[in-house]
Amino acid sequence: MSRPPDTAGRLRRLLAILAWLAQEGEAPIDEVATRFDLTPGALVTELEMAACCGVPPYTPDQLMEIVVTDTTVSTRPGTALARPRRLSPHEGFALAASARALLAVPGSDEDGALSRALAKLDRALGGAGIDVELDAPPLLAVVRAAVDSGRQLTISYYSASTDRVTDRRIVPERLFASEGHWYVDAWCATAGDVRRFRVDRIGAAEPVDGADRPAGTQPRASTDRGIDGPPGRPAPTGPGPQPPGQPVSFGAFVPGPDQRRVRLSLDPASAWLVESIPSAGPVTTVDGRIELELFVGGDAWLERLLLRLGPDAQVIDPPGDRALAAAAATRILRRYQSTE
Amino acid sequence: MPRPDRLERVTDLLLVLLDTPRPLSLREIAHRVPGYPEGHDARRQAFERDKRLLRDEGIPVLVVPIGGEDQLGYRVDPDSYYLPDLGLDEDEQAALNLAVAGVHLGEPIGRDALMKLGVGGESPLRTGGAPLVDLPSVDGLPALPALFDALRQSAVVAFDYREERRHMDLAGIRFRKGHWYAVGFDRDRGEARTFRVDRFDGPLEVDDPSSSQLPDGFDVDAEFARDPWRFGGGDEFEVDVLVDGAESGRVIAELGTESVVEHREDGAVVVRLSVTDQDALISWVLDLLDHAEVLAPAWARAAVVERLAACVAEGSGQAR
Repeated sequence: MSRPPDTAGRLRRLLAILAWLAQEGEAPIDEVATRFDLTPGALVTELEMAACCGVPPYTPDQLMEIVVTDTTVSTRPGTALARPRRLSPHEGFALAASARALLAVPGSDEDGALSRALAKLDRALGGAGIDVELDAPPLLAVVRAAVDSGRQLTISYYSASTDRVTDRRIVPERLFASEGHWYVDAWCATAGDVRRFRVDRIGAAEPVDGADRPAGTQPRASTDRGIDGPPGRPAPTGPGPQPPGQPVSFGAFVPGPDQRRVRLSLDPASAWLVESIPSAGPVTTVDGRIELELFVGGDAWLERLLLRLGPDAQVIDPPGDRALAAAAATRILRRYQSTE
Repeated sequence: MPRPDRLERVTDLLLVLLDTPRPLSLREIAHRVPGYPEGHDARRQAFERDKRLLRDEGIPVLVVPIGGEDQLGYRVDPDSYYLPDLGLDEDEQAALNLAVAGVHLGEPIGRDALMKLGVGGESPLRTGGAPLVDLPSVDGLPALPALFDALRQSAVVAFDYREERRHMDLAGIRFRKGHWYAVGFDRDRGEARTFRVDRFDGPLEVDDPSSSQLPDGFDVDAEFARDPWRFGGGDEFEVDVLVDGAESGRVIAELGTESVVEHREDGAVVVRLSVTDQDALISWVLDLLDHAEVLAPAWARAAVVERLAACVAEGSGQAR
């Protein structure tokens, strides 16, 4: 049980209990207490207090209709405060965006319960102007089917960090969308460990028969960024089941074994380009420029970043990376010179 | 004697304010709601604290000038407090719970919303293979809920973008490729424009409700500029980019087959892009490293070469 909430937190919880109870009519005390993270005793105290609230002259017919018995609590739909409250713009947005995001997952049921719920929300809240597009890489369905069935795939995979295509045998374990791309965490037999793959970089995928991951190995996705983690955001934690009652958690960023730290110096005007990239430390200002350390997964990844940042961005450390952008630029320029 | 539990006083206050058809003065409130102190100043202070608490919880406490010595009256309009009945069936409630559990955009806002709807509080048990979707946290994008509200109210919005003040009739909010966008009619340019919400500078200014008037037949899906080189910029021009076989599949998946103007034997393709933002184009091309090359027009090709040459010059300076 967490710290006892203040009056505002208690009011919020009381209103939530009443709104839920109004839908249920009557419910066992234990169930309500568990659902709203209270001890049964505390729940009863709170509801008995609320049952004394009302409007003048505070005769029984002017009080809230809440009935507390030895084992159950109940209220009646239409009781004051026991009707759903209007949503704040924040909440309305979060709900509409969440529902639309899940509907945007390729293969979702366009006439299902979620669509119907969303249509009702839109009518009441006016959220119709929001839309979410998710990528639909050609092999998403194949990968998803493999996650569901636990089957192995052989894939050919283009790794952006190394700019190379490799053939691998994987057991897909968990599929998720982040930063506008689909990723799959999979046991990679080639690497002998869990790796993260961007689904749109899988060039070919064939289901193969064969055993799952070797017995006794455990997913390490939460501590291993694999070879192609989304560069911008903390990674979802590993594929194990979530503890009941916990929101789906997206764990803190942990660098993978191949990653190195690079210290950059930037013009403050380009700061937005790197603000979504996991940083190894605080951003400091030195002589009107900003400095920060980033985790880098491979040369190609760092080349892309530096070229996009432009000539103004400088690598401070390690010294071996200082000429990386110039070397990449020279290589690309060769293309332009050879065809001019 | 004042009662000890402030929650009881606040709950009574809310019920009384919702129940009254006309605004009540503080004196009338103190008469109806037990638990306020006797002295005028102490009573005013206690009431102001309660009022702030209700407002912080998003409860719209109205303050209305009234005659007489009290001057101000207070009430809560039930129509702006309660949600109209959504009539959600049980499976629809469960689907919303799953959506909020499966989509990450800065918990617990979605769960708070479900609590208010009376369908939350449930352990969000996920089905085994259901994919998760991670959207940028709303906490980091304060303009987003404000845009949503402006859209619902048909209000004109104003904001700073690339050091320019923009005024827009908002037509829609779109999520694509990891970013949120505002799509609408740019009043300053007299054309449809798409803006990246995380690139807004400073707060969003929202005009009066119903101040917005989109041009007739404005089609938000058709006008949504889906590619970064078409955001917010000026005039439009066409650029041809050669992409070699290593990246052509991914680029076609991103742009659609209609962008391909030439297939080459070695698996390379030439794609034609409609560009309003030169910097965004250069970024996109450089992200493909030596797998891509701007072919035409000559000045766009020159811009890429210039950027690369600058990187070479700067880099050799650093390496020394």
